[in-house]
Amino acid sequence: MLLMYNACWQCILGSGSSKGLMLSLKDIVPAALNNIDTKFILLEKGRATLEGQNKTCLALVADETAAIHFQFWGDECDAFEPSDIIHLANGIFSYHRNNLILRAGKRGKVEKVGEFTMAFVETPNMSEIRWIPDPNNSKKYIQEAVISPHSRIFPPMP
Amino acid sequence: MALRLIQVLSHESENQTVSSLRQDFELLEPKLRPPFSLTIPSSQEYSQLNRAILYGVLCEPHFAKTHIKHLHAIVTDGYAFIVNLLVKIVSELYPKLVDTAKDQLIWVTETMIDVSAVGVDSLLVSLLRQIIGGDYSDGNLWLCFELVRLLLAKWNFLLDDQPLVLSSALYTYLRLLADHCRLSDDVKLGTLRRLEIELCVKIVREEFHLCLKIGRDLIRLLQDLVHVPEIRAIWKDLILNPSQFKSSGFSDILLLYRSRTSSRYILLRITPEMEAQLRFLLTYVKLGGQKRHQTWFAKKFLSGPDRETLIVDMVRFICCAHHPPNEIIQSDVIPRWAVVGWLLKSCRKNYVEANVKLALFYDWLFFDERVDNIMNIEPAILLMVYSMPQYVDMTHSLLEFLLLLVENYDVEHNDVIVQGVSSAFNILVRKGVIQSLDVLTSSSALSPFLKDRLRKFLSGVKVGVSKQLQPVPLPIPSMLPLKFSAVSSMETPTLSPR
Repeated sequence: MLLMYNACWQCILGSGSSKGLMLSLKDIVPAALNNIDTKFILLEKGRATLEGQNKTCLALVADETAAIHFQFWGDECDAFEPSDIIHLANGIFSYHRNNLILRAGKRGKVEKVGEFTMAFVETPNMSEIRWIPDPNNSKKYIQEAVISPHSRIFPPMP
Repeated sequence: MALRLIQVLSHESENQTVSSLRQDFELLEPKLRPPFSLTIPSSQEYSQLNRAILYGVLCEPHFAKTHIKHLHAIVTDGYAFIVNLLVKIVSELYPKLVDTAKDQLIWVTETMIDVSAVGVDSLLVSLLRQIIGGDYSDGNLWLCFELVRLLLAKWNFLLDDQPLVLSSALYTYLRLLADHCRLSDDVKLGTLRRLEIELCVKIVREEFHLCLKIGRDLIRLLQDLVHVPEIRAIWKDLILNPSQFKSSGFSDILLLYRSRTSSRYILLRITPEMEAQLRFLLTYVKLGGQKRHQTWFAKKFLSGPDRETLIVDMVRFICCAHHPPNEIIQSDVIPRWAVVGWLLKSCRKNYVEANVKLALFYDWLFFDERVDNIMNIEPAILLMVYSMPQYVDMTHSLLEFLLLLVENYDVEHNDVIVQGVSSAFNILVRKGVIQSLDVLTSSSALSPFLKDRLRKFLSGVKVGVSKQLQPVPLPIPSMLPLKFSAVSSMETPTLSPR
């Protein structure tokens, strides 16, 4: 067990499946990898819609550093309520039907780990940033511009 | 067969406390059936065995007696470890426990009382804290009933060994009676109400020294129950016949007024979950960005027809039991006065609003630098002062209520209250909480009438501190010490004498 933790500390942004390696939302970058391990609080859920056979639900989630759009899938849609603190393991942040969203995907997992006791900010919103491929490393994305400081889908409460 | 201790929803992470109990239970399960091992366990084995037994007691009602026999056979620490574990389970998990585990919890608590377990007082207090004010759900009334039954059944033990549990129970049940007497025609509540009254009256009548431990908030709670005949009779004696209580040194209700209620009583009416969320709000959430947290808090704890009565307990908690350090006070975290203002605005019923204001000002009325804490009175003054620019109605309504209290809250002891409120104003200025009272007395936003009354009060105090302010006391016609009847237009607690 100890060995596993040590190994993980060394691969800091690697396949973070171990606890204690939470990524801050502000450090999340779009990629085609299921490797995001993070914790956030659910601020607002949109209406559930059908994507083919499956129910999906777009939501605004946030931590102390940033907000982001999260997509719940299937029975996740009804399992979570605003103010739930959620741990995402092996999640993915990528373009999905033209939206830049964070989700568990097939290999990831979301779990409720608490409630209420998490501070958050609603800006920046990582889903409201325009990303371009890094000129020095075409496999990576870098921020090009802020499209909107806040979520345009879930505007901040007045 | 899968045993269950708590309800787990889909996509909910496993609870650490529960999994550690279950692991030890599964590990030791073969050893939990007779014949029990005669070897003396090491200290680590002892803890494991305690955890395994407790899990068995709570999850396997049909084997509970066997488990407890086992526990009696191995115990070497006066049951301290297992009681500690029980306190942790109650505080962390009570709302999630499955019903059978709740039944078992009460049963094992009773067993722990019977063996005078070390720490059983904390266990009873932690259970009392799980009763929710303003909640008429079956589960909540069940807990009220089980605990009042237990307290009455174990009266002699508690009185001799754990008298503070009885003071705590009195505080708790007086507050709950206000709920349970409000729906006086509800048959289901009838039995419960009778037991609750029996317990409270027994403590007050037979063990009045336990009331004195509570201090002034006891009066605040009793005041809500003057319409209950047994409590009304207690009132009468408190005012007219204090020697009735056979407590040495108790000659006047003043003794209660003058003793500040410890925060341990205030905490009794806030569940650990509410406490954690309120403290989080007041420690981490920034002013201006609190809207979502407030909405969630209100949805969880204040929605439901009578839940708003909890606001009284919450305001008392904020004033008396949550005193932030200077780093927080000077930061951009939402201050206590703003949370109190929000809670006050959440009141829908006038009598609740009046009780919330009373809770906010209660320590003002009897303020004495030597025993009182300025932090208890700080939220009210700041709420009045900071509301002026944008919400002058709030300032008006609070100041008016305060002046009303000065004039009408116990006219028999008007001199004491005048003294208390003036000391409160005095220390708030002296310690720099506000620069000067001019912000109130010279504000153009406040009504001239109110400013005039405040100025009169303040000037009267300055010249008249030492002289007798009160003429010869007259007998109280209604026997009600806390008469608001002089006031008709204001929203007031429902205290009109019948």
